[in-house]
Amino acid sequence: MQFSRRRLLQNTAAGFGSLALASLLADEARGASGSAASLLTSPHFPPKAKRVIFLFMKGGPSHMDTFDHKPQLQKDDGKPLPFEKPRVQFAPTSNLLASPWKFKQYGESGIAVSELFPHVAECVDDLCIINSLHGTNPAHGGASMKLHTGSDVFVRPSMGSWVTYGLGTENQNLPGFITICPTLAHGGTKNWGSAFLPASVSGTPIGNASQSSDQARVKYVENARLSLDAQRMQLDLTQSMNRGFLETTGPDSDLEARIQSFELAFRMQTEMPEVLDLEAETEATHKLYGIDNETTADFGRQCLMARRFAERGVRFVQVTHSNTEVQWDQHGNLRKGHAQNAAEVDLPIAGLLKDLKTRGLLDDTLVLWGGEFGRTPTCQGSGQDGRDHNPEGFTMWMAGAGLKTGIQYGATDEYGYYAVENKVHLHDLHATMLHLLGLDHERLTYRHAGRDFRLTDVAGKVVHDIFA
Amino acid sequence: MHPIHSRTSSLISLAGGKSHRGVSTIGLISHIAILTAVLVIVVGSVAAQADDELEQLGAAEPTAESLDFFESKIRPLLIDHCYECHGEDSQESELRVDTLAGMLTGGLAGASVIPGKPASSLLVTAVRYHDNDLKMPPDEKLSDTQIADVIRWVEMGAPHPDANTVGPIVPRNEVDLEEGRKHWAFQPPVKATPPIGDASMDVPNPIDAFVLTKLHAEGLGPNPPADKRTLLRRVTFDLTGLPPTPEEINAFLSDHSGNAFAKVVDRLLASPHYGERWARHWLDVARYADSNGLDENVVHGNAWRYRDYVVRSLNDDKPYDEFVVEQLAGDLLDSGSDVELRHERLIATGFLVLGPKVLAEKDQAKMEMDIIDEQIDTVGRSLMGLTLGCARCHTHKFDPISHHDYYGLAGIFQSTQTMDSYETVAKWHENTIETPDQAEELKQHQQRIDDQEELISKKISDAKSKLDPAPDAADKPDEIEKRFPDETQAELTSLRGDLDRLKGETPELPTAMGVVDGDIADTAVHLRGSHLTLGDVVPRRVPEVLALDDQPVIPADQSGRLEFAQWLTDGRHPLTARVMVNRLWRGHFGRGLVPTVDNFGLKGSPPTHPELLDWLAIRFVEEGWSIKAMHRMIVLSQTYQQSSDFDASNAERDPGNQLYWRFSVRRLEAEAIRDALLAVSGQLDRTTGGNIMQYKNREYVFNHTSQDKSKYDSNRRSIYVPVIRNHLYDMFQLFDYTDASVLNGDRNTSTIAPQALFLMNSEMVSDLTFAMADRLLNDDADSAQRIQRLYLEAYGRPASDAEISDGVRFLSRFETILRENNVGSLSSESNPERSAWQAFCQAVVSSSEFVYLR
Repeated sequence: MQFSRRRLLQNTAAGFGSLALASLLADEARGASGSAASLLTSPHFPPKAKRVIFLFMKGGPSHMDTFDHKPQLQKDDGKPLPFEKPRVQFAPTSNLLASPWKFKQYGESGIAVSELFPHVAECVDDLCIINSLHGTNPAHGGASMKLHTGSDVFVRPSMGSWVTYGLGTENQNLPGFITICPTLAHGGTKNWGSAFLPASVSGTPIGNASQSSDQARVKYVENARLSLDAQRMQLDLTQSMNRGFLETTGPDSDLEARIQSFELAFRMQTEMPEVLDLEAETEATHKLYGIDNETTADFGRQCLMARRFAERGVRFVQVTHSNTEVQWDQHGNLRKGHAQNAAEVDLPIAGLLKDLKTRGLLDDTLVLWGGEFGRTPTCQGSGQDGRDHNPEGFTMWMAGAGLKTGIQYGATDEYGYYAVENKVHLHDLHATMLHLLGLDHERLTYRHAGRDFRLTDVAGKVVHDIFA
Repeated sequence: MHPIHSRTSSLISLAGGKSHRGVSTIGLISHIAILTAVLVIVVGSVAAQADDELEQLGAAEPTAESLDFFESKIRPLLIDHCYECHGEDSQESELRVDTLAGMLTGGLAGASVIPGKPASSLLVTAVRYHDNDLKMPPDEKLSDTQIADVIRWVEMGAPHPDANTVGPIVPRNEVDLEEGRKHWAFQPPVKATPPIGDASMDVPNPIDAFVLTKLHAEGLGPNPPADKRTLLRRVTFDLTGLPPTPEEINAFLSDHSGNAFAKVVDRLLASPHYGERWARHWLDVARYADSNGLDENVVHGNAWRYRDYVVRSLNDDKPYDEFVVEQLAGDLLDSGSDVELRHERLIATGFLVLGPKVLAEKDQAKMEMDIIDEQIDTVGRSLMGLTLGCARCHTHKFDPISHHDYYGLAGIFQSTQTMDSYETVAKWHENTIETPDQAEELKQHQQRIDDQEELISKKISDAKSKLDPAPDAADKPDEIEKRFPDETQAELTSLRGDLDRLKGETPELPTAMGVVDGDIADTAVHLRGSHLTLGDVVPRRVPEVLALDDQPVIPADQSGRLEFAQWLTDGRHPLTARVMVNRLWRGHFGRGLVPTVDNFGLKGSPPTHPELLDWLAIRFVEEGWSIKAMHRMIVLSQTYQQSSDFDASNAERDPGNQLYWRFSVRRLEAEAIRDALLAVSGQLDRTTGGNIMQYKNREYVFNHTSQDKSKYDSNRRSIYVPVIRNHLYDMFQLFDYTDASVLNGDRNTSTIAPQALFLMNSEMVSDLTFAMADRLLNDDADSAQRIQRLYLEAYGRPASDAEISDGVRFLSRFETILRENNVGSLSSESNPERSAWQAFCQAVVSSSEFVYLR
């Protein structure tokens, strides 16, 4: 019998994300007939990025108050929106609300960034800002799942899982997909789950959003009672039993993989705590990420962990900025809330960008920043201090990975309600991200329940315009 | 003939094409047939008989004037905005709009223009920009005038110069039923006589007859029977999900009668643990969960009633046809005055409500259709092995299930009340299932509340009447009361306190997730799956490929769920019995005769043993759909009882064991691993049924926070452990538990390092292996005897001499290393002997032999 790719992936993955692209493509080349063909060893396209760091701003940061400067909105503060609001809105809003923050031009590119992000603004020439994102769902859960999995209705694999499925990991001792302090609400595990893809490509969570990042741990990776040599002695016994059982059953790929998986687990016990040990970094680095400062320490640690995972070959690292509430969700209290949120992340993000650049990692790392949607230019609540969810037009930015930088791509209307120019749907974002990693979103498929599934469903266009 | 059936064939006949069914149906033109035939007629193949109807619909031969409208208003617009992607050179989504044929045929999403029907024409949808997923031209919306022109043009019947030259057009999304019915799974099963074979074959069981014949034909032979210990461990886990106890092992070993194994099987099938084991298989298919998951992860506080219903049904060997009908339409069955039966059947309909729902979906019409879609997908795959959900947006790409078929079923579920409210956060329906006693108790309690209220108002009016001056009608009640005498005021306070207490103590009537019939109505085809573009209304019905001539008759005043369920279980349905016996086979052997257990469609795998599958399916129905009879037949076969030993020559010819030359070695499921750990450590709580969740119904497991309220610290069997979507018990998740949001009748078995980490480092394994160690140390026995006992409990076999000496040596060396590691810090908890035994137990239960069946 021919072992199918699926069977190989499902059953013999020795550890996290050991699914090399080579085997994926080789199998595709074999086609339906199942006959062996030449083994392709390159991705669909030459990759610009080898890995992704996704900085997820849970709750929906306001684009008009950060990276999408709207002078007309400032002028028309308090006036009614001169065009129709969307058919489906999350909640009613009233008239236009000017941004409480001033914008200033930065860098050679002269891109305007609000005073909420002074440090990231210093890196603006390294950013590729997409001002014309749009999605479909105006509620946190649906929008978050749409962003993470491409579907706001069905259970689908998360983008990190697709990427890991496609490319495997570069470090056999670590998971290929790690998510640092993810939120457990609004899709929860769905947002890093593998759905019908092999379990080995699902994200490994480190802590969750209700925990401080210095408490964040991978479950079961440490043994509180036994020294490593004692545990090794015990493992030797288990493994001799495992080999004995394998002798009685005859050759069996699952049982062989199982023996390997214990060895990998044992190595991970050493490797994982080592990555999470931020004390190994210099004081200057701590300062760069704001770990020395109370406001920025928590997110700074997350960003530094992300860099440490990235440099060790982890394929997809997600860093979530969320407290136990929905951090960026300022239906009211916009001034205070957004100021606080931005203060927590601005310096650490800038630190991460600078650090990646210094280490040469930015060349082949795709950094992605954004939330599940933006916010309305119209005002919510009575206090003239809130904005509602807005999936119709919002901003995300990218850095690294051979992108055109110091640019703003696409645009919303003069107030920031709808994406109008060079619109980029979340499906397009996914297609573009996969392309940068050397993967064709239409060919990265998985057969399940009678059809081939992909991250972009039946949509998605690669935004070639932003490639350098 | 029911008029509906003629839809497709009428269309084709009118168009002058060949009828799918080879019958001329012109004389049977129904209203619906005409509606759908219009576009064909318009493009030129006008059937004389239909002219009148055509006039009524306002479509006509294009006039010079109307063609001028097209040339001046529409064609320029198409050239400017559409041709680049949908023209001669490029046809995105396989659509071209530079020809009339292209527009009528449509792209992947279906016909782009339906003459005379702007609301059903995707071209209009696209330019209107109302639908987020279909906005054309993509860069910029057309002007309002242009949009109005397009609508007007479609209303005019889409006049086009090609009209007279275009041949008959069949829009995409038509199904060739005759061709479709040729698929093996849509043919009725045929009961072949089990082959007899040669004299050397001792085949009392028809299963073996089929399997052996095929094995022999390929030049392979079966393995000899497994030894008794192996067989007992295999069948005990298989039927109850638990390991055999040493007593059970000894009883079986000492029973030398010919039917010793059959007795074991009967004992296991009669055990309450049988239902717990096999209910879990069904719950995978029912995508059972104790919370909603998706966006708003609120608690399904009463889902457990459905779970217990499934356990009971299996333990009672409820016939499968009844089991199906109850789950689809239990509310519509006549239960007479049998309250308990009625409740049982209401609970059963929880099957339809358990799916995950986007409860904060702001587009309520979309939410409704999403929920219906989830139901159709679940019902299709669980009961029929058909991916019906694929036909939501367009006709099924592979299977002969049309877009209309889908909405025929959707009408049945739209006529069913699944939800009580679509307002954020939406509420699913629950039926009250109170006993007469509970109803009476509530009534009495309500009476006490009423009495108390009456007493209070009487006190007030008495006191009022004594006030002087009498209170004015405009006076506020509390102002009036302040004028009452102090003791009256005190008395009122006390009475009101009692009233509040009474109200707080109002007994809550038990409810169960479930459905009832709602507003009965047929549903319109949703073009591209969007409720914003509706097409023809489809009468409620089942897919035509399975019931062309014998559609169940659905009463006008009922949803049709009952008729649908009865149609599935009338014994003639080609899929129902096949799908279920295949699921049972999958449970016993780890792989179905049809490996794609949830998909019997064209993209599913064909059966490895088609005659056997059919034979089992027919037998299943003949034996009154008895699931236990089917288990018995399967596990009593030689095929099931053979050893799992490796055979190099067989393995070379059939490495995947497709032909069943051995019993395939396989890993236990997450639940069985956990239950076995609990059982072997003496910690398993064998209580059956009931709810162990601490949450209130509809309470958030995760609000907008990440505060984790899930708790899994129970020693009950795994089936009772709460199934929290989006936050499954991590031990379950690690060992390939179902996702619980989508049905899955064929769980994966992955082998990943985190499983090893769990066995090495989790508190649960540590606690349970300490409990094992303590049990062993409490025995008045030496190390060798303790090791023997552990092996017997964990593996169902005694340890070999070599294993005993390895174990003894490990214990002593491990104790030494612990003493060295812990010099000066030894506490009673780290008692080296106890710790060494714990480490040994942990190695035993972490090893492959414990987590695998052979």
